[in-house]
Amino acid sequence: MARRRFERSSHLGALPLTSMIDVVFLLLVYFLVTANFAQQERDLSSSVQAEGGGVRVSELQPQIVEIVLVDGVVEFRIASRWAGSQESLTAILKSLPKEPGVAIRAGRDVPIRAVAAAMQASQDAGFSRRSYVPADE
Amino acid sequence: MISSRKQSGHHKVVDLTPMIDVVFQLIIFFMLTSHLGELRRTEVDLPVQPGQEQRDGQDAAMIIDIGPDGVYMVESVEVNLNEIHRLASAGIGNEVDPENFDVLIRPDRNAPAVYLDRVLNKLAGVGVTRWKLGTMAPDGNGGG
Repeated sequence: MARRRFERSSHLGALPLTSMIDVVFLLLVYFLVTANFAQQERDLSSSVQAEGGGVRVSELQPQIVEIVLVDGVVEFRIASRWAGSQESLTAILKSLPKEPGVAIRAGRDVPIRAVAAAMQASQDAGFSRRSYVPADE
Repeated sequence: MISSRKQSGHHKVVDLTPMIDVVFQLIIFFMLTSHLGELRRTEVDLPVQPGQEQRDGQDAAMIIDIGPDGVYMVESVEVNLNEIHRLASAGIGNEVDPENFDVLIRPDRNAPAVYLDRVLNKLAGVGVTRWKLGTMAPDGNGGG
């Protein structure tokens, strides 16, 4: 009896732990690596509107968001109103009718982050019809 | 008799360690390769906006990266506007409904809008009507 117990304990003591440790570390490395790669990107959807084509200018005129650089500072202009930040642009867009949609147009040197801000503001304001009007060369 | 006993004794000491190692290596390999779709995207400083969550496993038909200096990349390969035009017209030609041709543009946040305008003019020229702007979530969960 005593001998059998001794045999069992010695057998347990001889478990090959090396491979298990190898595997645990490999799994750890795997999850560390994929945690970095599995970052989720987001997107802002829009239609593309060739300048002067497709939609009549009269339909777009009141709803065009112009993004301009004034002394290196981004400014959003909607008809006679203007906004200096994404929040104030969202507030202005919320007060506009949603049916005609909104078109966004940016100056050549405006950073794309300002275009993204205008697209985000129009989405937050509840516009389902959003388009971007790329400037002609 | 003795030799058969020896044989069975020999079978009992088969070392499973390398087999377990190999099995786990294979599991890790297949788990890693299942993420290759995400690894295909190059690192870009995307604009920081919450946007909308991208649908899992549904990549856009065409992904165009715009670098800060106006370099365009498709599938991590540098391309010019004419090549983008050719790729987009080939892609849209394969679609039954051109409206389904989905383009994702991943621009550097500080790149001037003129680079975005140039590529969108090319895409509009081949009949692309819908596009998406890649963004990164403000909390840092977005990719870049």
